[in-house]
Amino acid sequence: AIIIMIVNIFYRKHEVNAVLAISGLLLAFMTTAGLFGSVPGRTANLLTIDSYALFFMGLFFAATLAITALSYGYNKTHEGSHEAFYILLLIAVLGSAVLAASSHFVSFFLGLEMLSISLYALIAYRRGERSNEAGIKYLVLAGLSSSFLLFGMALVYAQTGTMEFSEIASVSSASQVRSLAMSSGVLLIIVGAGFKLALVPFHMWTPDVYEGSPAPISAFVATVSKGAVFALILRFFTLIDIQADGRFFLVFTIIAVASMFTGNLLALYQNNIKRVLAYSSIAHLGYLLVAFLSNGALAITAVSFYLTAYFITIIGAFGVITVLSRADEEREFLDQYRGLAQTHPLLSGVFTAMLLSFAGIPLTAGFIGKFYLVSAGVNSALWLLIFSLVVNSAISIFYYLRIIAALYEAVPEKMIEIPLPLAGTIAISALMLMLMCLGIYPSQLIRLIQITAATLG
Amino acid sequence: MVTLTHFLILSFILFSIGVAGVLLRRSIIIVLMSLELIFNSVNISLAAFSYYLQTLNGTVLVVFNITVAAAEVAIGLAILVNVYRSRKSINVEELNDMRY
Amino acid sequence: MEQIFFYIFSILAIISAVMVVSVRNAVHSAFYLIVCFLQVAAIFILLRAPFLAAVQVFVYVGAVMVLFLFAVMVLDIGKEQFKEHLHTQAIPAIVTVIALFATMGYLVSQGRITVPLGKFTEEALSKNTEVIGKSLFTQYIFPFEVVSLLLLIALVGAIVLVLKEKKGKQA
Repeated sequence: AIIIMIVNIFYRKHEVNAVLAISGLLLAFMTTAGLFGSVPGRTANLLTIDSYALFFMGLFFAATLAITALSYGYNKTHEGSHEAFYILLLIAVLGSAVLAASSHFVSFFLGLEMLSISLYALIAYRRGERSNEAGIKYLVLAGLSSSFLLFGMALVYAQTGTMEFSEIASVSSASQVRSLAMSSGVLLIIVGAGFKLALVPFHMWTPDVYEGSPAPISAFVATVSKGAVFALILRFFTLIDIQADGRFFLVFTIIAVASMFTGNLLALYQNNIKRVLAYSSIAHLGYLLVAFLSNGALAITAVSFYLTAYFITIIGAFGVITVLSRADEEREFLDQYRGLAQTHPLLSGVFTAMLLSFAGIPLTAGFIGKFYLVSAGVNSALWLLIFSLVVNSAISIFYYLRIIAALYEAVPEKMIEIPLPLAGTIAISALMLMLMCLGIYPSQLIRLIQITAATLG
Repeated sequence: MVTLTHFLILSFILFSIGVAGVLLRRSIIIVLMSLELIFNSVNISLAAFSYYLQTLNGTVLVVFNITVAAAEVAIGLAILVNVYRSRKSINVEELNDMRY
Repeated sequence: MEQIFFYIFSILAIISAVMVVSVRNAVHSAFYLIVCFLQVAAIFILLRAPFLAAVQVFVYVGAVMVLFLFAVMVLDIGKEQFKEHLHTQAIPAIVTVIALFATMGYLVSQGRITVPLGKFTEEALSKNTEVIGKSLFTQYIFPFEVVSLLLLIALVGAIVLVLKEKKGKQA
């Protein structure tokens, strides 16, 4: 599968406009879907292409498909042809695919670097001061976090003498004694990955980068880059059973609870839509950790389903922002969205659906996702986490409703009419439909995820 | 005989100096330089492990790490050029107009 | 005997690293960084990894430092006065650094390594370059391709960021 992708991406790289980028992504999506049933192959023990990896790859390709459609409209407003924009985006997706499939430290590190380096350029793509600032901040912090990651890998490598996840698992489970170096190594890896997932102690960069980077890019950062790292951690930690080792379990629980609360509380009094989405994405990562901590097959299904629902909602929400905003001025502030209902009923309808699914109101995919999370949490008795999950969803409902209320307020006087780019609106309405159908009729996706869970579980 | 811990102590010291540089210094150029320092210190510990463990994948990771760090510097400096153009100074101080 | 060499190189490396961080003028710190990189290359040789030392010298000292010097020269970043040497939130930063140093020290003092001897015997490592080359192209062929793609992105990214600015200017 990897070779097909590389050929795919390499061939596409020289296309000039986005239409070919989209077709290339479709091709890649088909190849992953086609290979889904195939027996898990291994490329030189670096990557295991099992259906778990394929599922996530398919997810990332679909997500990038939507983002390219959104960014197509967004970029048209900005002068100059954007082939570089699409090249960087495609290579970032390849990086995330490598991450999803990797089962070796080297491919883990390289996938991560490929993802982050293409992101540095994409974040700083817009000329504005703020996007440069976001670029620099992200670069320095990501550099620091990957060095922590490498240090962790070095320590674990020192202990187990190998860089293979499976061998590490066997060695560490064999030698029951968790030596200090081994656990500190794994801890450093958590630090490195924690930064990428913007969990609490390392989330400072999130609002600035989300606000600074162009809207489709922040959607990409929120979804694919976090999803890829999460898929990898899931694989890494299911192999090395974290349940047994109390310390890591405790570390993760603290991070989960903290990110839930900070994410929601900070989002309460934000007026910039992008920053609200940034903080809510931190909270959502906290929810995901709940399922991650509750071990077992159900956890993996819960996580993958919630990740898909989260992807759709975040891309939808950012899609609305991209469609409304031109490349030069982004419509970020709450008051710019006042009275959107009158001028663009479709858009505000989509936005409300997205926000409701964030909060987990029934009939949307978000609800099913949360339901799975809670059930996964319940059957492995993580009462504290369940409690904080429920409390946080209550808090989050408040600020989501605040935005929805703003949407339906009276139209302010100077509501200028904005031509809506066609590609963007199609993408959003497609997302809306997916959201609804997933919300009402999720069973076939669940079956699909069950297969993936089987391979990994 | 030079034991492994010598190398580890050395790489830890360099690591902390690098982190101090990143956190304390004002101009971004120095921050990027100390970032390179950190990558180097990690390389030392990786090479030391690979030597004492007599296996090779440590060294291979070091080779990859060097290339990745070089790529990162390239992008870092490109962004730096933009920041410098738009703001005529590269102090970390001014880079906070995105108020919380 | 080897011990002495090790100590010389590591002390020099630490001193130059401290200078890189503390010196005011950017150009000076760039030179100190070169000195530090050379020490690290020397240490790689001590670790019987000549290939690594060569790569380190070429890539780091050659390319990265040239980039830094280029950036420092082009953007004529002048000497900063001493007073704004450390930026405002220096105090919390210093605290974190000390904490980091303490944890590191604690970790190292614990001692750690059970050294399972791998299949490469002493002399195998000596002709290190050929062994690395072989493994790079057999076992690690895939990441090798990935790295080439990665360097390509860095190229594309850097050009895009800088070039577009020029067009923006005339328009």
